[in-house]
Amino acid sequence: MIHILSALPAEARPLIDHFRLHEKSTSGGFRIHQGNGIALVISGPGKVAAAAATALLASRLAAGTQATWLNIGIAGHADLEIGQGLLAHRITDRASGQNWYPPRVFDWPLESAGLLTVDTPENDYPQTVAYDMEASGFYPVATRFSTSELVQCYKVISDNRKQGTGSVSAQQCTRLIAARLEEIDSLLHSLGDLQQQHHGRHAGNDDVSRLAGQWHFTVSQQHQLADLARRWCALIPDQPLWLDSLKTHDSAARVLNTLREHLDALPTRLAAETGADRV
Amino acid sequence: MFNTIYIERQVADHARVAEICARFPKATRVECDRYGEVFNPNAQDFRLQKNNPALILAHKHNGHVLAAPQGYGIGGERNHYFSHMLNCLYDCRYCFLQGMYRSAHHVLYVNYEDFAEEIERTLAAAGKQASWFFSGYDCDSLAMEPVSGFVEHFLPFFAARPQAWLELRTKSTQIRSLLKVEALPNVVVAFSFTPDEVYRALEHKVPGIERRLEAMLQLQQAGWPLGLRFDPMIYQDDYQAHYRTLFAQLFSRLDSAALHSVSLGTFRLPRGYFKKMVQLYPDERLFAGSFETCNDMVSYPRAQEREMTDFCTQELLRHIPESLLFPCSLAA
Repeated sequence: MIHILSALPAEARPLIDHFRLHEKSTSGGFRIHQGNGIALVISGPGKVAAAAATALLASRLAAGTQATWLNIGIAGHADLEIGQGLLAHRITDRASGQNWYPPRVFDWPLESAGLLTVDTPENDYPQTVAYDMEASGFYPVATRFSTSELVQCYKVISDNRKQGTGSVSAQQCTRLIAARLEEIDSLLHSLGDLQQQHHGRHAGNDDVSRLAGQWHFTVSQQHQLADLARRWCALIPDQPLWLDSLKTHDSAARVLNTLREHLDALPTRLAAETGADRV
Repeated sequence: MFNTIYIERQVADHARVAEICARFPKATRVECDRYGEVFNPNAQDFRLQKNNPALILAHKHNGHVLAAPQGYGIGGERNHYFSHMLNCLYDCRYCFLQGMYRSAHHVLYVNYEDFAEEIERTLAAAGKQASWFFSGYDCDSLAMEPVSGFVEHFLPFFAARPQAWLELRTKSTQIRSLLKVEALPNVVVAFSFTPDEVYRALEHKVPGIERRLEAMLQLQQAGWPLGLRFDPMIYQDDYQAHYRTLFAQLFSRLDSAALHSVSLGTFRLPRGYFKKMVQLYPDERLFAGSFETCNDMVSYPRAQEREMTDFCTQELLRHIPESLLFPCSLAA
């Protein structure tokens, strides 16, 4: 699942159209649009609203640690050209001075910059960073629900020293985001690859659920069963987690013992990998 | 090699930082107040970061030299370790660093001079007694040498202090800075090996056994004291044949009489590290075998561990005298 937060309807509009999202609900004044594995929330401006909307989206969609989170919106910058897209490599909250560093573990050949979240629009651009009003609300909340590699902030420059915030209209905002949809697609693709790697590790095991439905496992026994299931998947991934002898077992403890004995008796071999990553 | 370099503000103007950054002109440079802001936060995924780790250039404030755990050593009585880097270029599935750190980024402390001062103080406290300094605990001592220049910086220091012994522990073939200078009798270059079957399955991005052996032969010819490290030893059903083949391969080419030391130890990890590594790689067969937990350490079952240690010890003693052999059963 991809979760997108935009502050303004004008920022969200091109994304809603491009990803063919439909308005699903409004809660606490936040509009949520969904479709095609994407959920987008419109937070309204400001970091408090961004934090609240992020938390709402996470709770509504029961976001797991493998979800991708992206804050997409406009930002100002002293020198960068209007229309330039960028990824935040550092987020700073001006009020508290706190910093966050979204890890960039995928190839991103385009611009990146520091992003300073301010409480009121910045027209002087004193530092060589991008200025926005949401990232420092969005990022720390999103990273409570997902791993930080999957949480990123993408901004399009809407104003600079030559053309200040007063010149940014809703239509222009929409045009600026719409012009960067290809780049946004590419970013989502990269994040999607990462998400898949991460998800593969955290996918549930249907066999475990089936066994847990047949015998009563205490909480401790459920952990033991999950660990045995992991070992089973690693050692004999092609075989479902089942042994015919389990049919006669009348307790979860016996099931666990039988599975453990079966796994312990298997030959100990390390899977040889391909030579692709040899140096 | 690195697409992002984080630089602590305190070392932004350090000459070593400028040299390192010049090697990566395309990398994005990001200033930070303290490296811990990048390296330590929760919600990081070591395995995802290992795809493309960043370099963090930082200043080490304290704890430059630490006492090695009791019993750890290769013959000396005063044993210390120091880490000018955290994390490793290689990706060995059994490595405890995966369980120790939240981040896979490489931290390089650039204030080598402070490490040297602390080593000097440690030596002064030891009087005339020899002191050992192990450098490859939290990183590979040589793998990043072209970037870090660590060895090049420290060799003259140890050359001038014969009572100080340095162990460089490595799986790397980056030996140019060693071959450029005259061999030092108090610097031991220790190479780690596992059998080819283990190497192929678990030691990702590591130079092959033959390449490491070639590097050792060059160093031996140049007069450098060498060590062999079989730690961790990894169990497989055919481990005896595998280790016998490995030992034969190494000792048929190396001059055993000129070796400084050989050490060995079975695979073992603190329980918390093991748990984290299993979460990172749940499908890894290495972690799917049977293990025992004792004193908060996860290891092979005691009998299996003893059998393996006994077998490898006996095999090694066919090639080297007992005086060179140092078994290690401590926490990894």
